[in-house]
Amino acid sequence: MWMGAGVDEDDKLDRDAAKQILRRTYRMLRPHRRRMVFAGVLAALFTMSTLAGPLLVRTGIDDGIKVGDRAVINKVVVAYVVIAVLSYFVYRAQVVAISRIGEDFLKELRLRLFDHLQKMSMPFYDREKAGVVVSRMTSDIDSLSELVQMGLLMFVSNGLLLVVSILVLGAVSLKLLVLCMLALPPVIVASRKFQRDSNIAYLDVRDGIGATLSQLQEGISGVRVVQAFAREDVESSRFERGNRRLYDAHMKSVKISAWYLPVIEIAGLGTTAAAVGVGGFWVHQGDLTIGTVTFFVLTLSNLFEPIQQLSQLFNMVQSAGAGLKKVYELLDTEVDVPERPGAVDLPAGGEVEVRDVAFSYLDGTEVLAGVDLTIAAGERIALVGPTGAGKSTLAKLIARFYDPTAGSIAVGGVDLRDATLASLRRAMAVVPQEGFLFNGTLIENIRLARPDATDDEIGEAMASIGILDRFADLPDGLHTEVRERGSRFSAGEKQLVSLGRAALAAPEILVLDEATSSLDPGTEAVVERAMERLAEGRTTIVIAHRLTTAARADRVAVVAGGCLAEVGTHDELIARGGAYAALFAAWAGAQPV
Amino acid sequence: MVGLLWSMTKVSIGLLLRQAVDKGIEADDMSRLLFWSVAIALVGCVSGVLTGIRRYLAFREARLAEKRLRDQLFAHVQRLHFAFHDEAQAGDLMSRGNTDLQHLQNFVVMIPLTIANVMTVVGVTVILVLVDPFLAVVSLAALPLINVVAKRFGSRLFPSVMGIQRESAALATVVEESVAGVRVVKGFGAEDVVKTRLGSAADDVYRESMDAARIRASYLPALQLLPNVGLITVLGVGGHRVVDGSLSLGSLVAFNFYLILLIWPLRMLGMIIANGQRASAAAQRVAQVLSTDPDVVDAPGARSLPPGRGAVRFENVDFAYGGSDVGVEAGAPIPVLDGFDLHVEAGTSVALVGATGCGKSTVGRLIPRFYDVDSGRVLIDGVDVSQAKVDELRRSVGIVFEETFLFSDSIAANIAFADPEATQESIERAARLAGAHDFIVDLEHGYDSIIGERGYSLSGGQRQRIAIARAVLADPRVLILDDATSSVDPTKEHEIRDALGVVMEGRTTIVIAHRPATIALADRVVLLDEGHVLAAGTHEALLADNERYREVLAAADDVADDTGVSV
Repeated sequence: MWMGAGVDEDDKLDRDAAKQILRRTYRMLRPHRRRMVFAGVLAALFTMSTLAGPLLVRTGIDDGIKVGDRAVINKVVVAYVVIAVLSYFVYRAQVVAISRIGEDFLKELRLRLFDHLQKMSMPFYDREKAGVVVSRMTSDIDSLSELVQMGLLMFVSNGLLLVVSILVLGAVSLKLLVLCMLALPPVIVASRKFQRDSNIAYLDVRDGIGATLSQLQEGISGVRVVQAFAREDVESSRFERGNRRLYDAHMKSVKISAWYLPVIEIAGLGTTAAAVGVGGFWVHQGDLTIGTVTFFVLTLSNLFEPIQQLSQLFNMVQSAGAGLKKVYELLDTEVDVPERPGAVDLPAGGEVEVRDVAFSYLDGTEVLAGVDLTIAAGERIALVGPTGAGKSTLAKLIARFYDPTAGSIAVGGVDLRDATLASLRRAMAVVPQEGFLFNGTLIENIRLARPDATDDEIGEAMASIGILDRFADLPDGLHTEVRERGSRFSAGEKQLVSLGRAALAAPEILVLDEATSSLDPGTEAVVERAMERLAEGRTTIVIAHRLTTAARADRVAVVAGGCLAEVGTHDELIARGGAYAALFAAWAGAQPV
Repeated sequence: MVGLLWSMTKVSIGLLLRQAVDKGIEADDMSRLLFWSVAIALVGCVSGVLTGIRRYLAFREARLAEKRLRDQLFAHVQRLHFAFHDEAQAGDLMSRGNTDLQHLQNFVVMIPLTIANVMTVVGVTVILVLVDPFLAVVSLAALPLINVVAKRFGSRLFPSVMGIQRESAALATVVEESVAGVRVVKGFGAEDVVKTRLGSAADDVYRESMDAARIRASYLPALQLLPNVGLITVLGVGGHRVVDGSLSLGSLVAFNFYLILLIWPLRMLGMIIANGQRASAAAQRVAQVLSTDPDVVDAPGARSLPPGRGAVRFENVDFAYGGSDVGVEAGAPIPVLDGFDLHVEAGTSVALVGATGCGKSTVGRLIPRFYDVDSGRVLIDGVDVSQAKVDELRRSVGIVFEETFLFSDSIAANIAFADPEATQESIERAARLAGAHDFIVDLEHGYDSIIGERGYSLSGGQRQRIAIARAVLADPRVLILDDATSSVDPTKEHEIRDALGVVMEGRTTIVIAHRPATIALADRVVLLDEGHVLAAGTHEALLADNERYREVLAAADDVADDTGVSV
């Protein structure tokens, strides 16, 4: 009953949002309804057994000890033993049942969220910061798991204990209960104030931890720069200031609990005193038995503990609610490159047709307009042009990382938007500018392109573009572990793995984004050769940053200012004396040798 | 002190309760009942206030200790030599500065509480024995078991909790990768592959979590059960004795109250033991870092650099990585420089050229004494760098690293890193020289734009240009450019090259580069091979006479394509 108290404060979640989160969580939990009821029954049974102890003590004192009936004492002891043993098993089952529901929920949430993330298209990943997306799957769900692993159990058992205690106390002696309830108003006021203050303090601490950790991170990863400029002292004192703020935030939250806990404790002991004093007076008047007073004293200690624990749980609930809200928001983000109902497979061996294509970002910035281009099956075309002219965007549209805002792109006469995503990905492979390695072995990294490929097939694919020896010669060969995202491999070698994936995928259409930065000279040549062999016999669209690459292509398309400025063979374009010829002349002139 | 008072008040409440029952209710004496129940209320107030004070003091000390250790750790890490950082994993240092300190704090905060709890347990036991020795022994017999169970609970739960953390980290890796590598995943249609990976990671987390839940399920109920054994004993044995008249009813009630009072401290003991194990491991890991001495420190009687324009001389230098004690984990030494000689006259520039691994970056790193040489000497303006004051030496040498690191701060503050007092004018001048001014003013907030992890993401080339500006602003007498333009967009590189020409004018500069056009900026070229100088001369002369130089450049032939290409 005190849980709701802080939620209507406007710190983080308003009442409507909280309600929506609850409703949605309930919907997700619906398939587990039976197990929830089961867990609820167990929790209720356990709570009753907790209260049965003091009740039995009461009966033992009043009907046994006071009247000198030893048989009653013995019966009570036996009953107590039975109940204690039963409660052991009930509690055990309850912990497992509640944990299982919680963990199932978390797992399902993780899988659903990841599934959704995989459906999201490139524009989504361009828009959102990677760190934010990752934190939805990690820290936001982790903030829930704390609640699931401890909080849920505490919440259910304390909440039930509180309610049932009050009911039983009332049933035993309404008068004494009413007396004890006099202590509740200050406790409620204090609890509400505590929730509000500690929530604010908690948010402060969280910010402080975040800031200190990123300062620490920066101090460690930037240590070489700090030392190079002899700034160790300045950085250390800067860190101390940030750390001091974290300490202050911690102390603020300690101060809040340092006054709250005494209030609860005083209320608890004060009520005990009242129960003994006033209860004793009523015993004197003959309205109560001494067993009842004992029962109250023992049960009251159970009553104030849950209130205190529930208040402290509040922060956990709050941060879990905030985490859930963000997770649900992400789940609600629409998939922007969906598959149409009735989509068909792309036909094999078709030409790529780009018809009157335009593309703008969401904010209206136009990147491409009126682009027409037909690429014959098996042709190699190089896209060249200055940075930002739109050549990468054109390539990404062909790979359907984005959908054009106007016009259409078709392969073999089928509009990409009408094609199944599976057939599209089978027909096409995209080799990004920078080789990216996943944790695992080299061979696993390459197998990514075709999960069912055998080791031999992977070896053949690599050999076909001449990169097998380079990796097979490593001590562990293709089974070399890629650690820390491939920090032991050079940029060129990562690029080779990337090309190896493309070779394994053996697509009809290949989109290659050439690396801009320089690789070390030895690997550079191997990369070049591998790209050549990979492109053989395939429809290839290469985003060229080097004019030698362009010169080797069947045709060159110059993208400038969002349009196709020129299309033709290298020789034709040189002869024409246009933009490409000018680029080429500038390049030749800049050669230092 | 507060803890002692606190446990005294806690313990005395049971005694007061006994008095209230025996002298008040049982004896039917209402004035004494009133007296004793008011006493309970008053002692309750004192006890509550003491709880608050105790909690405040305990947390204050623990947080203060955590803060001080973290400050110390940070300052120490800042001073540790490069070789240490080459070996240490950033993530590992982070966890020492974060998780390990947290574990320590968790333990420290419990120390005063533990003392108070132990006193409570002792006090209660003494009182119970005084009240009724027989009943005390019988009812307390089960209680040591609580401690044993709690201890086992702690030690069994601990590895399981670590397992959850490990599996969660593995899951986070899968997520991070699939986000960072989304282009690969989409490009090869590998969504199902990563989904399968995530599925198995999520299964692992689930399995570990349920293991922990089952451990909790078998111990928590036991902890709940054992105090009941005491209560039952008191009721059974004590009840009969009250009937016999050998025990007062008040004593029976007090016994019950005390047994409940003991539950929490005994449970805590188990937790503290588990925490203590974790804290001592954490303390060791923190101490390991703090006890590593920085290798590169001022020599006794270190001197200032004399005024000069930065003549650099290497005399017969040998150097191997991992040669000295690197603190964390020493690998086998890898010889890099072998009898290396180099003389760069003040105000001239030299390009170091050679295949990957020939030692050219190392040469750059020995000048500001990031590492100490194994034998031979490195001199700046005639002073051995190992005899110069480290701070001063590093301020005189500017270096632009191959991998750019920028701080989460404004662009202006990043450029003015060497001299936070620098005027806006000098910051802009440095940015212009590095070819960064134009793109900076195009940003929404110009020089005040926040960059780094949590700010604007700049391209690799833009970041490198800011790093160059940072080095230029320091106005060093020796400038080292370690592949400083490798990520710069070829369209922009010629602009920077022009700018670099101005910066290098009359300044001792060491250029480490692949691109011939950049190499050609230097007055002289030194060709390195396997740790020593193979040949030296002008670019043209070497090109004409030296076969190996032509080979190295020929290997870079394809690289030559992108120099100055304006595609």
